[in-house]
Amino acid sequence: MLTVAALNPRALRRRLSGPGLDIRTGPFVVRLHTRIAAVIDNLALLYPDYPLDDSGFADFHVSVARARGLRRWIRPQVEFLVDGESMFSPLPLAQAFPIFEWGLNWCVSSRAHDHLVLHAAVVERGGMAAILPAPPGSGKSTLCAALVNNGWRLLSDELALVRLSDGMLVPVPRPVSLKNASIGIVRTYIPGAVLSQPVHATSKGSVAHLRAPPGSVARAAELARPAWVIFPKFEAGADVALDAVYGADTFMRLAENAFNYPVLGAAGFDALAGLVNGCAAYSFRYSRLDDALATFDSLAAGAR
Amino acid sequence: MRQYRWDDEFVLFNDLSGDTHLLGVQAMHLLQALAAGARSDAELGAALTESLPGDTTLAALLADLERLMLVERRPC
Repeated sequence: MLTVAALNPRALRRRLSGPGLDIRTGPFVVRLHTRIAAVIDNLALLYPDYPLDDSGFADFHVSVARARGLRRWIRPQVEFLVDGESMFSPLPLAQAFPIFEWGLNWCVSSRAHDHLVLHAAVVERGGMAAILPAPPGSGKSTLCAALVNNGWRLLSDELALVRLSDGMLVPVPRPVSLKNASIGIVRTYIPGAVLSQPVHATSKGSVAHLRAPPGSVARAAELARPAWVIFPKFEAGADVALDAVYGADTFMRLAENAFNYPVLGAAGFDALAGLVNGCAAYSFRYSRLDDALATFDSLAAGAR
Repeated sequence: MRQYRWDDEFVLFNDLSGDTHLLGVQAMHLLQALAAGARSDAELGAALTESLPGDTTLAALLADLERLMLVERRPC
């Protein structure tokens, strides 16, 4: 199967500005149209390992395009379109690649209703997966970046897809979104990390994306059984702490982090209860990534 | 109504409203008694396995359940 890397820059530009590029990300095929250089360049940088799909079918038809009218030229803006409709307010042109990533997250979280979709990172080792639900600013993505570059497989840094039919986790490995201080932390902690150029002054501050490990992308069809629910919280200077969370508390905290729980009704209710009954749950506080990795290694070792 | 129990806490899914509720054991027993047909104060009081904590009354508990739209008061 061909990957994005098989296309030279000219061919990539031609496909994206013409018929579109069908990229497989986990269970979804995204047909992308764009003429914006920042999107094209970051696609080449961060998505080289992703398969090109030639089935002719795409789950999401998206475009990243310059805004129409005066904003095409004066303080230019960019739009994210799904099926030709703009789904978000336009953003400054410099945020073209972040809007692609955010827009794609929206597509999955608002449409993949054969899954319970949690705002969570998911990593896997030894056939067992840890779900890390957390609101923005918790350190989830920094922790995820460290884990997946130290023996854990990336299923997602943002969206945990729990398949309603059997409770299995479905990988959607995409570039890890990093913000503000975490960009420098990851650059230092992961030698050789491939990162996009930071984009500043977004609604989330400065944003950069870390290329997903090729091994994780290659295993995107391999489902994982959830074994742990771990609520992470970065606290500067804090000692590492892993405290058990139980029953209804786990349920309600998961529900708070579920994008499509209101849509799913009883099926979502049962899926959440399945996670509570099938997983060991913890609150996890950390300040040093080495300590965090050691804690996760202990969990994995204890599960064998 | 679908429900799951962990220790003394229940999560309850209301099929009619689509809402999810976190309830204690007293509230759940009261709901179960109502679903089984109990109507009088005596019948409902009997459903509560322990005395209500503090100054909680049966009426207050029923009012809470009504506010959550889990029960509906109707004239006799």
